Amino acid sequence: MTTLVGQVFGSLPASVRRLVPVELQADLRDRYGQWEPGDIGFEPDAPTAARGERTGPPDFIVLGPAECGARWWMSLIADHPGVAPTHSVDGAAHVFDRYCTEGFGDGEIARFHAFFPRRPGRIVGHWSADGLSYPWIAPLLARAAPGAKIIVLVRDPVAVVMDRLAATAGTRRPSGGADLADAVDRGFFGAQLERLHDLFPAALVQVLQYEQCVSDAPGALARTYEFLGLGGSDRPVLPHPIGHVSGNPGDRLSAATRSRLQALYADDVARLTQLTADVDLARWPNFVPEH
Amino acid sequence: MRPPQFVSQAFRGLPPNARTVLLHARGRYAPWEAGFDFTPPAAGPDEIVAPPDFVGVGVQKAGTSWWYELISEHPDVFDRADIHKERHFFTRFCVEQFGPVDVHHYHQWFPRRPGTITGEWTPDYFAHPWVAPLLAEAAPEAKILVLVRDPIDRFRSGLTFRRKMGAPNTSATVADAVRQGFYARWLRRLYEFYPPGQVLVQQYEQCRSDPQQQLDVTYDFLGLDVFRPPDVRREVNVSGGEKIDLEPEAEARLIETYHDDVVDLAGLVPSLDLSLWPRFAHEGSRP
Repeated sequence: MTTLVGQVFGSLPASVRRLVPVELQADLRDRYGQWEPGDIGFEPDAPTAARGERTGPPDFIVLGPAECGARWWMSLIADHPGVAPTHSVDGAAHVFDRYCTEGFGDGEIARFHAFFPRRPGRIVGHWSADGLSYPWIAPLLARAAPGAKIIVLVRDPVAVVMDRLAATAGTRRPSGGADLADAVDRGFFGAQLERLHDLFPAALVQVLQYEQCVSDAPGALARTYEFLGLGGSDRPVLPHPIGHVSGNPGDRLSAATRSRLQALYADDVARLTQLTADVDLARWPNFVPEH
Repeated sequence: MRPPQFVSQAFRGLPPNARTVLLHARGRYAPWEAGFDFTPPAAGPDEIVAPPDFVGVGVQKAGTSWWYELISEHPDVFDRADIHKERHFFTRFCVEQFGPVDVHHYHQWFPRRPGTITGEWTPDYFAHPWVAPLLAEAAPEAKILVLVRDPIDRFRSGLTFRRKMGAPNTSATVADAVRQGFYARWLRRLYEFYPPGQVLVQQYEQCRSDPQQQLDVTYDFLGLDVFRPPDVRREVNVSGGEKIDLEPEAEARLIETYHDDVVDLAGLVPSLDLSLWPRFAHEGSRP
């Protein structure tokens, strides 16, 4: 729920809101209910199903942060004529965040399903930005949408860390180590995929490598369409919007720092390549195996 | 010059984030805040500097301030009142260059009188996986201390504390509180850089139940003689007030989330008494 004061504050131009120190913005959001996606109080309203539409669990779920291109991929899938318009790209992307400390039962599952109206013959999907890295979310997805097909986007972990830090800089009160740890944790894809395989059969999980998607978006998208049982589409495939850091974000690091991050992720990357054949390490120069 | 009392009272009545804004405007930052000046303090005339003899690395809200205070009371331990127990020195180096100059600066943070030992306790180090190799580079001989606590109790206490300190009410704050409770994961990371014999893991609940006996273990590990500080049961840095709500169904899921890690920890730390963590008392026998 958003109060009137919160609505007024939220309606101010971003340039005016930026005059308020980020530390105070957090207080104001808490106090006046001006929550944003990712805030625990944020409660998006489910859409009203139109006549002829039915609601239910999503048919597919895209897992991964925007830094891995997951938001972009979700929007490309949603552009297919066989896919119902998604209400999940922004608001509902964080719908599970609150349930780390709150109970999750039949009522919450029904509320989640309400976000997915679709007409007969169309499928619909959900994007969960934090569903890979925050450990309480995937088990809830497995309860709320046990038959859903899962699309996971992974990216060179060193680039993920740098892009994430660039994306969050200045948007919140810096919390020092917590922000860094959050960015670092997002890159442990091997452990995350392993956890996912405990919840969803491997046949229901498609792993996509961000770098391959960028390099050959139509080809990768065709594989996703096939995985989802969709035919081809003649809609144009929009390229990935420029990220927060142009080029390879990992290039900003000194050789020694990059080497430390490579060492940090080396075992996990090896684990990831054992779990899936869909990651081509030649596209992750930080982790190309030595011959 | 100290401000008038009414100013201090008014300041304390402000929300945490407003207090922070005012402190930052006056250039005052805590070691865990971006903006803190890491210029090392000057050593006193009778002090020498060297790498720390011990470093506590974890975990937040498991009695680390209390335990550090008890260690510091030992007559052979040196602790300067003007230097915070938590140096937070390594956090910023996650994606920044770290080299010999930084190692030298780190050592400067540990003045002590000859014949005494000294150290620090930064609870965040444990769950920051980039810290262990840097710490091992800067203080390879340091003895490492870890206090662990029932991960669910730690989660509630840690999240309550973070919120009280003004952390935003976001999923990232919650995720950070969850992350810190994977003790076995972080201990395994530590063991990549320090042999287990150089690391002492103690259980907060055992310390609470028999503090002097557990303190004897800590002193012995640090090479200190037996000492009996007064009032070992004192309470330090306790989070007062109500803790955040954790609904029973959510708690059950969190227990499941930590299950494998607690089982792993019990294997890594034979002295861990799972009967003191009733939520996990039977975890060792579960498949």
